[in-house]
Amino acid sequence: MMRGAVTLTILGALLAIMPAAAAAQSLAAPSTTGYVGGSACKTCHADIWQNFYKNPHFKSAAAGDLPPSQTGCESCHGPGAAHVAAHGGKTTIPRAFSVMSQGAALEACLSCHARDFQKANIRRSEHTLAGVACTSCHSIHHSPTPKYLLAKKQTELCYECHAGIRAQFEMPSKHRVNEGFMECSDCHNPHGAFAPTWRMSDRPRMVDQALNNEEPCLKCHVDKRGPFVYEHPPVRVEGCEMCHFPHGSMNERLLRRPAVFTLCLGCHNGGASGTRLNGVPIATSPHNLLDPRFQRCTTCHVRIHGSNADETFLR
Amino acid sequence: MTAMLKRYCLALAVLGALRAQQTIAPTPEAVGVARGSDFANYNIVDSFELGYRWLAAGGSVDTYRADVNYGDGIRLLGSNLSINSKDGHGRWFDEIVLTTSGLGNDPYQNATLRIEKNRLYRYDMMWREDDYYNPGLIISGGEHMMDTVRGLQDHSLTLFPESHFQVELGYSRNTDHGPALSTVQAFDTFSTAFPVFENVKEQWNEYRIGVLADWRGLRVIVRHTWDYYKNDSAYNFTGSAGSGVAGDGTVLDQFERAEPNHGSNPGWFGNVYGSFQHWAINARLTYNLGNGGFAMNELTTGLNTAGAAENRQVVVNGDAQRPVLAGDFSASVFPTSRLSIVNNTAVHDTRIDGDSYLTQFDNGTGAATTLNFKFLGVRTVSNATDLNYRLTKWLSAYAGYTYSDRQIRYLEAFSFPAVAGSESVYPYQQESQLNAGSLGIRLHPVQALTINVEGEAGHADHPLTAMSDRNYHTLGGRIRYRTRKLQLSSNYRELYDENAPLSLITYSSRSRQYTAEGAFAFRDWLTFDASYSKLHLDTVGGLAFFAGVQTPQLQTGYDSIYISNIHAANAGLRFDIRRRADLYLGYTITKDTGDGRATAAPASAATDPAASLLDSVQTFPLTYQSPMARLSIRINSKMRWNAGWQFYGYGELFHLLGYDQNFHAHTGYTSVLWSF
Repeated sequence: MMRGAVTLTILGALLAIMPAAAAAQSLAAPSTTGYVGGSACKTCHADIWQNFYKNPHFKSAAAGDLPPSQTGCESCHGPGAAHVAAHGGKTTIPRAFSVMSQGAALEACLSCHARDFQKANIRRSEHTLAGVACTSCHSIHHSPTPKYLLAKKQTELCYECHAGIRAQFEMPSKHRVNEGFMECSDCHNPHGAFAPTWRMSDRPRMVDQALNNEEPCLKCHVDKRGPFVYEHPPVRVEGCEMCHFPHGSMNERLLRRPAVFTLCLGCHNGGASGTRLNGVPIATSPHNLLDPRFQRCTTCHVRIHGSNADETFLR
Repeated sequence: MTAMLKRYCLALAVLGALRAQQTIAPTPEAVGVARGSDFANYNIVDSFELGYRWLAAGGSVDTYRADVNYGDGIRLLGSNLSINSKDGHGRWFDEIVLTTSGLGNDPYQNATLRIEKNRLYRYDMMWREDDYYNPGLIISGGEHMMDTVRGLQDHSLTLFPESHFQVELGYSRNTDHGPALSTVQAFDTFSTAFPVFENVKEQWNEYRIGVLADWRGLRVIVRHTWDYYKNDSAYNFTGSAGSGVAGDGTVLDQFERAEPNHGSNPGWFGNVYGSFQHWAINARLTYNLGNGGFAMNELTTGLNTAGAAENRQVVVNGDAQRPVLAGDFSASVFPTSRLSIVNNTAVHDTRIDGDSYLTQFDNGTGAATTLNFKFLGVRTVSNATDLNYRLTKWLSAYAGYTYSDRQIRYLEAFSFPAVAGSESVYPYQQESQLNAGSLGIRLHPVQALTINVEGEAGHADHPLTAMSDRNYHTLGGRIRYRTRKLQLSSNYRELYDENAPLSLITYSSRSRQYTAEGAFAFRDWLTFDASYSKLHLDTVGGLAFFAGVQTPQLQTGYDSIYISNIHAANAGLRFDIRRRADLYLGYTITKDTGDGRATAAPASAATDPAASLLDSVQTFPLTYQSPMARLSIRINSKMRWNAGWQFYGYGELFHLLGYDQNFHAHTGYTSVLWSF
């Protein structure tokens, strides 16, 4: 309860230091002249207008009380008077996304969507740094997906650039993304995520936190979340990727090695690393590695992710 | 719709449909452009695909079920329903979108629903179910089996979704239940592990309430969550089983274990962010108080390793706590339209402590009580600065620097209340600093072509484990050419964590990834796509273990080596036959060639059993392939008939540790897709 109060206090302090924002101007303050209204657009672009009522952006037109700069076609494309006067042409559209630079497209969309929490880290996301703009993934007028207006089904979009990840989802042991049970965005935020709360907080940048501050794996594999009296430190400190490939693996249970003992011995060699100054514990002398029983560590150490009843994870 | 636009949409759709065709059904081909039916002020579009799946599998069907798991039976393979108000002023709602996949009996089923009334509310629902089967396979000799059903659901209701003040209500649920086999050691930590039945029964529920407000150009979110975890899995064994191992006289006659574990995680989430013409801020703070209360009662009877009768009861109870505080603050400045600078500071602090009271009764002879305690605390502070600068219209550069400081504290404490002065505490502490820098350039010489080259180098002075990143660097590049009819891309990325000289703590790994991909729409009736990836990984680390033919001796003269060379390729060809039928032919192969050896362990290692064992797990060559074919015939403007076949073939070259888990399976389906 005390810590909850402290949290609220800090939150309050964060709010208190922000009044300077009052004088700030919103992004891309629109021009107030040259707007013609959506009715003029549909005269020529009937094919787009015909189904525009199914588009989430139609809300701005349906509202009826928003200024022209935030209504319908011109809220994204800018005032259309010059375009109408010229009887068409991309060069007369203030914001023609098909010819705009990626940075300009990003700025145009952020003029409204900067308010979305999911895009709060877009400036430092790897996609932005690599020049992936909104229009690389979203199709406003021809989207096959009503939600989020993606240009294609989500996995198809991601695989377009991430063929190596696609290969991992085609391995024998994998998360069921191709089967439709999961989506990339279950774990990743393509618009940029907060700094990870595991490993050294540096990478990866596009993995979203679940349950406020946990690795997304724990959103489904909640039994591994703990807290446990006996934590296996790498699980909590370095994250699941220490032992598992998150997308797919040639090895069962997404493991990084085909035989589990090679994975365990990678750390449990007595070397002076880890949280123990005298080394990560080595398997004791009765663990004769030539005996098949001791080649399958998790047969006995069944609670390898953490235990409440045994410090060596036996129960 | 103009003819040109139609062709453009078709080319995009076809190029999209070619990728990610790893499962044969549901059928991606649509009947046509769905216009729907008008009813009152709404437009309704609906489609169902109803069909039958079949399966013929041979070899290790258990492995097939673990890797693929499609079976026989009637399915609602997919469905889509959308209802939209035509003027955005529906009486009760303006939009309903419902999609389902695999309903009926597919191992992977899901449904999503959105209901929205503009300005008033938005409700989103997601439901999924996964039939998970795993026979344990090689890692535990087939003793850890699971045949469980995991269900996930999420409900989210936002009130006044377009206003400056919004209310969010949410509920999520995650359940897992079903039979499983686990293992237990009876009486002695070196006895044989016996398989015991486990009735998996766990559930997690989360409740959320939050408000979102726009205030002076900033958006403020405050949310409170409560989640509750409950695991009531129980274990039992009846009958009588001996170890079957020479020198181990253990016999298990009875085993029962109940270990209810109930936890709760009340938490707070706060976020403030805003984006302005020349600057932006983003601040987040979360606090979760994790609690876990647990109890265990375990009863075991039988004979111990020496053959003496045992009747043992173990009782454990206690609590564990894990408060977690995490925060971020990002400040961005945009001094010019060409330059953006973002600085991010993140703090994460967690501590895990608790008490576990273990009481072990040797029923009839006496009792011993032990109190154990452990503590794990992690505190990480990091600061990262990213700079993104557009030098010219076609050339941009970006750079970043990250500093991270992590402190880990670990405490082990033991006391034996029956023995005066037995209290002892073993504290450990480790600090690690990471310094990493990155640099990249982005070229956009013409509209269709994008080129990226980037690299990063980092050094962590005290990684947690031998396998953690220490001295690493990455190098990557991507080139992409994209027009309406042709898409080509290629990508290279390497991550090297190289440390020398090799010792128990200087682990080295090198991973390289090469990909090339292309998609081409020759005509609107013929398209082709293909991709190739090579994923290379080699690692080497120091080993120390006990092994011996007679008496185990400490072995330190061996290295842990693992080499993987995975070649993955896809190809897909799609014909549109006289606008009446679609034929799709696809092939996927993933092949790990390992290090190219012909036998699991070279003959030279035969005289050294430890070397022979280690050699046999240094590489894991196998081939996994899946050809497929699908025919979809348009019966009329609202209906299609579909049929498809997909083969799965899994073949290990060396049968690791003696287990043969190769399989082959023919799967297929036939269905009718009806749209209106």
